[in-house]
Amino acid sequence: MKILVSLKRTADPDNANKVKVAPGGAKIVTDGLEPKVNPFDEYAVETALRLVENGKTRIAGDTVVVASFGPKEAATNIRQSLAMGADSGLLFTTDDDSLDGDLVARALAKVVEAQKPDLVILGKQAVDGDSNQVAQVLAETLGWPSATFAMSVNLSADKKTVTVGREVDGGVVKLTLTLPAVISVDLRIVGAKAVTNNVTPAAFAYNDGPRFAPLPMIIKAKTKPIAEAPLASLGVDTGLKVRYTGFELPAARKAGIKVKDVADLVERLRTDAKAL
Amino acid sequence: MTTDANPLLSDRDVDFLLFEVHDAASLCALPAFADHDRGTFELTVQTVRRLARDVFFPALRDTDAAPPALRDGAVALHPKMRAMFEALAEAGVLSATRPASVGGQSLPALVATAANAYLCAGNASGAGLAMLTTEAAHLIESFGSDELRARYMHDLYAGRSTGTMCLTEPHAGSSLGDITTKATPRADGTYNLTGSKIFISGGEHDLTENIIHLVLARIAGAPEGSRGVSLFCVPKLRPDGDALVDNDVRCAGVLHKIGWRALPSVALNLGEGDDCRGWLVGTAGRGLAHMFQMMNAARIGVGASAAAVAYAAYQESLRYALTRPQGRALSGRDAQGPQVAIVEHADVRRMLLRQKAIAEGALSLVLAAARQSDLAEHGADEAQRARARRLLDLLTPVAKSFPAEKGFEANALAVQVHGGYGYTSEYLPELWMRDQKLNSIHEGTSGIQGLDLLGRKVVAGGGEALAAWSEEVTLTVTRARAAGVSAAWCDALDGVVAEVGALTIELAARGLAGDVDGMLSHSADYLDLFSTACVAWQWMLQATAAQRAKGAGRDEAFYEGKLRAAQYWFATEVPRVALLARLCREAEDSYLRMAPEAF
Ligand SMILES: Cc1cc2nc3c(=O)[nH]c(=O)nc-3n(C[C@H](O)[C@H](O)[C@H](O)COP(=O)(O)OP(=O)(O)OC[C@H]3O[C@@H](n4cnc5c(N)ncnc54)[C@H](O)[C@@H]3O)c2cc1C
Repeated sequence: MKILVSLKRTADPDNANKVKVAPGGAKIVTDGLEPKVNPFDEYAVETALRLVENGKTRIAGDTVVVASFGPKEAATNIRQSLAMGADSGLLFTTDDDSLDGDLVARALAKVVEAQKPDLVILGKQAVDGDSNQVAQVLAETLGWPSATFAMSVNLSADKKTVTVGREVDGGVVKLTLTLPAVISVDLRIVGAKAVTNNVTPAAFAYNDGPRFAPLPMIIKAKTKPIAEAPLASLGVDTGLKVRYTGFELPAARKAGIKVKDVADLVERLRTDAKAL
Repeated sequence: MTTDANPLLSDRDVDFLLFEVHDAASLCALPAFADHDRGTFELTVQTVRRLARDVFFPALRDTDAAPPALRDGAVALHPKMRAMFEALAEAGVLSATRPASVGGQSLPALVATAANAYLCAGNASGAGLAMLTTEAAHLIESFGSDELRARYMHDLYAGRSTGTMCLTEPHAGSSLGDITTKATPRADGTYNLTGSKIFISGGEHDLTENIIHLVLARIAGAPEGSRGVSLFCVPKLRPDGDALVDNDVRCAGVLHKIGWRALPSVALNLGEGDDCRGWLVGTAGRGLAHMFQMMNAARIGVGASAAAVAYAAYQESLRYALTRPQGRALSGRDAQGPQVAIVEHADVRRMLLRQKAIAEGALSLVLAAARQSDLAEHGADEAQRARARRLLDLLTPVAKSFPAEKGFEANALAVQVHGGYGYTSEYLPELWMRDQKLNSIHEGTSGIQGLDLLGRKVVAGGGEALAAWSEEVTLTVTRARAAGVSAAWCDALDGVVAEVGALTIELAARGLAGDVDGMLSHSADYLDLFSTACVAWQWMLQATAAQRAKGAGRDEAFYEGKLRAAQYWFATEVPRVALLARLCREAEDSYLRMAPEAF
């Protein structure tokens, strides 16, 4: 079993309130914010690791490869995944600004051709652009089955299919995909029992959330390979389809008002908010 | 974490202090740290800060609200203390700074101290228990027999047991040379211990099966005073064949405390039934000297915890000040207009900037000391190691006491910024203020640190440590001038270095002439003076880094904030040096003349 996970670095999402728009709206300014792994991508790494584990031990022969596109410094973010337990990394260097969802998806398709994974797992979206496109475009480009917004994944005992619980407006849809396939994951995938592989005993519960990189693994991760190559070496057209014409902040929220009683509330919902 | 949650420490600042001010990456050139690079440091800090935010901090209010009690001789810890401790052990934090030969990661103390500061800010009690365990193991690693190392060290580093330091006795706190716990040799080479210890942190709990006490005691017939004190390893359960049996260590009571409430501080009776076995650690009569390895590490640890607790409260009050609307601008005409956030008021900004100057200055000072401890142990050659040892010895009492003393003031300001709400337990600043108070008491009170600094450290070796310190600070000023830092600040710090040198020579001469009061009666003022100077040095280092980085179009506000905090320190604190020096020099005698009956 070989799993490919893609990874994007985003300006520290814990401090997203410090993101500013440059004067004139030409760009987003993320000064002083540490680039961290996109949280949904971290969940993707966690999902992949749970699929190749028997509880606390690794299943021999299974591998998790992490790929990222970005500047050389993104190697640090790849290394974090290696410290969590991934086996190797691929970094295709380019500027953060020279990428869009379409290019990443097409580049990933090339990586898939070379790596031949059984499964590609991605975060459902990056928390900076919130585009939510790469998994879909990738699956389409490859012609592979795909399931987005996964909140549960079950890998069959014969490793030929995965059954994915997808979070949709009305509830949960279950899809069974034949491998190779593409999955994008949502927050709930890192629940204690959301990922099952018919190897880890049913009684075993993971900690909620993506795992910490334990200190001993951080040093070990230094010896795991990260292959670096320019993005262009993949032989993709590096032209962008998405062009940003300007940025502006959403209008500041107006202060709330206090209503007298329920009747007043209903009246205001009807007349002011026109919600009823 | 939601976007406006308290980050405990600012990640940008920790990054700045580690890599732009204290040059953590340069340590990787030393063989001991060769396995590391900036990336491993960053990832380590990332793991630990996440533990602090996800596990430690969310438990802070709960663990404070329900302190453990003694029931039938047993003390049940808050379940969240278990969660914290197990998470730390699993992440390998307990042995992080130790070499691979004992299962550690050879992490520099500089990086470990910065990382652990997040834990202290998130939950000082939880971090305290970890520190005790690590340092107890380290004592056994350094001085224990092979038998003790095999039996206890690995369990401690792995978090399967916890450790304590048993120094204090009811009649001997500051004055450890007066302890009376007795060790009587037995035929098999072990000792029978009898005596009472008090305030022992983590001295009893149900977290791990065994607790490994490191106990100071006096071997029968040993000389009076500190020369007669030896160090013993006294497990709660001792081996008996293949089994573990009770070792007659009784918990006689749990103290009710105003802070650090999750970590039980207990009274222990050793050998009530005359069946408490101890194993000698290191050399008989060298107990206090051996224990100083743990005490010195703990002093830096206490300083780090104090800086962190001040820092977290500063962050909390900053968030409050940015969002709490109250009053209008003094210059504003519009009495009917909307209220402004309190951060707009000059006095609130003063309180915030003072907290920032104290907390970030204190953290930088503690990291400077930690860096010297790395060089003292692992420096490139003996000359570098010896110089670092001197600097570390000199900085230790300051790095321990300044964050505690001024940190408490900062913590009170965080309460103040919150107004009436700050005085309620609905808000966290009161909790951090209570936790902070301990830091000027345990591991040697501030009074003891002042005596240690003036009576011992600055005069040691003919003042060689102070000479090294003056060199360091002068070099900092030279670099600051080159970087274009305010000449007025540079001149002021040069003046302070000269004043510290001249004053110390004067006071030392009095001591040599037998005038002990003339030398030491203002040891607290001297400590205050020297601390103010050390923190001015730290702000000069930070201002230099900020000045260099400024203007590149990146993080302008961050660097500007550093320069304003430095300005504040030079404008409001550095001038106090003159007054403090005068008090020391004149040996101003108001309190010396106060006979007890005159109070
Ligand atoms: C929560 C907590 C946890 C603790 N944990 C531990 C622990 O794990 N292990 C352990 O061994 N101890 C521990 N202690 C004990 C602590 O180290 C002592 O309380 C401290 O050293 C002071 O001793 P004391 O309480 O006897 O005060 P005293 O020594 O009686 O001091 C009282 C006051 O007199 C001053 N004073 C005393 N002697 C002098 C002097 N020579 N010159 C000038 N001033 C002086 C002190 O500065 C202080 O202000 C803990 C204490 C607390 C409160």
